[in-house]
Amino acid sequence: MRILVDQDLCATSGQCVLTLPGTFRQREPDGVAEVCVATVPQALHAAVRLAASQCPVAAIRVIESDAGDDERASVDPAPSPAGAERHPAKDQRNPGGHDGTV
Amino acid sequence: MDVQETTAACRDAFAELASPARIHDPYPFMHWLREHDPVHRAASGLFLLSRHADIYWALTATGDAFRAPAPGELARYFPRAATSLSLNLLASTLAMKDPPTHTRLRRLISPDFTMRQIDNLRPSIARIVAARLDGMAPALERGEAVDLHREFALALPMLVLAELFGMPQDDMFGLAAVIDPILKGLGPHASDPQLATADAASVRVQAYFGDLIQRKRTDPRHDIVSMLVGAHDDDADTLSDAELISMLWGMLLGGFATTAATIDHAVLAMLAYPEQRHWLQRDAVGVKAFVEEVLRRDSPVMFSATLRIAQRDIELGGVVIPKNADVRVLIAAGNRDPDAFADPDRFDPARFYGTSPGMSTDGKIMLSFGHGIRFCLGAQLARVQLAESLPRIQARFPTLASAEPPTRETSEFLRTFRALPVRLHAQGG
Repeated sequence: MRILVDQDLCATSGQCVLTLPGTFRQREPDGVAEVCVATVPQALHAAVRLAASQCPVAAIRVIESDAGDDERASVDPAPSPAGAERHPAKDQRNPGGHDGTV
Repeated sequence: MDVQETTAACRDAFAELASPARIHDPYPFMHWLREHDPVHRAASGLFLLSRHADIYWALTATGDAFRAPAPGELARYFPRAATSLSLNLLASTLAMKDPPTHTRLRRLISPDFTMRQIDNLRPSIARIVAARLDGMAPALERGEAVDLHREFALALPMLVLAELFGMPQDDMFGLAAVIDPILKGLGPHASDPQLATADAASVRVQAYFGDLIQRKRTDPRHDIVSMLVGAHDDDADTLSDAELISMLWGMLLGGFATTAATIDHAVLAMLAYPEQRHWLQRDAVGVKAFVEEVLRRDSPVMFSATLRIAQRDIELGGVVIPKNADVRVLIAAGNRDPDAFADPDRFDPARFYGTSPGMSTDGKIMLSFGHGIRFCLGAQLARVQLAESLPRIQARFPTLASAEPPTRETSEFLRTFRALPVRLHAQGG
């Protein structure tokens, strides 16, 4: 799973940061939302979908497929079961929180 | 036809909501309206939506299916706009702008309202809370009644805003006195004298902010006004003086009457449902659940004061809202829609336990801060003030009780208070 934030649309409400502080952050200085992980571990998939659905301006787009790790791959609507096995560390709360993909 | 009948039964829900009986308790009428006339067309031509799903949709569609009034057509929606300063200021606030202007203006203030900035304010908010409670303690401990609204609920957001704006506290108390008349003048049924009073008050606010801007220009500090003056002076096209003043006027209006009312409502909930106070004695997650439930059950904003103008004919629930109609949302009714929140009149913080702020365990959005591009800028600031206040009130005054019934302001769109007298229960009777 990957996440895209439409930064033109973002209303800087900070709602996603309140929901998932390790996955989203607010850019300095203007508060526009950023994603701070490259890919989302399986354990957080449901929480990320929730954060996306709660964004007041629907600026968060969730790309379910891990095939998306290949930049040119098209969006696969069905989550790949293999994806789950590639992220076995389900208890890892805040992975990649500082690996700065922004 | 059903709709005809109910329209005949309620010609104008706005007028109905303004009646003294409805100001005392608007909820039975709101339930009736939502069940019988959820897409209500008032005699004035204004539409009023009262179902959670419709309100959620309209808020999300703002900037798309709905737009703000263009400057040239203000008179059409505000017949007295040409002569009223308050209406003109309202029309130039952020809440009345469409993208891209809306986005540009909002991004100018957003640095001061990021989660990190609001979190940084926590210690000073906690300090103000403790000082105000200390100030109330001697009278309460002597067995006297104290007006919690004036001494605490209103004072806290005023002092926080004074700090954010970089204003002397006495100036803020002076300005605060003129907020109520302005808010009254902005109601859809405001009389000419009410509007005139509002305008006189707006003149004072405008003059004060004009002076403040000059002071911040010569002596900038770390506050919102200095920051906005800087944005203005770096590039005059970015933010005009008029935009700056209406922005500050809007933050002042939106900033504390609503926060104060929610603190009042929270204290009333503590007094009415002592069995729910345990939420305030637990961890931050319990406090958050209590705060969100107060916000849901008693939205300080009954319906939207800002205009949402239909970009096209919109069909909703079998009713056609014609293009260019002004559509308002009855937030307080949406928050008590049983389709979104089961047994909606019941005060039950468990609905929000362990969820992200503003969302129920059933995944429904609490509407009091709005949604979409106009989502309340100060939402997190208000939440932090509530979260820092309520457990301290509970810990400091565990025997707090009502001294007299609270007095409400007579506004149909803001559910606010004039007084909330409290005292301490005599220990051991």
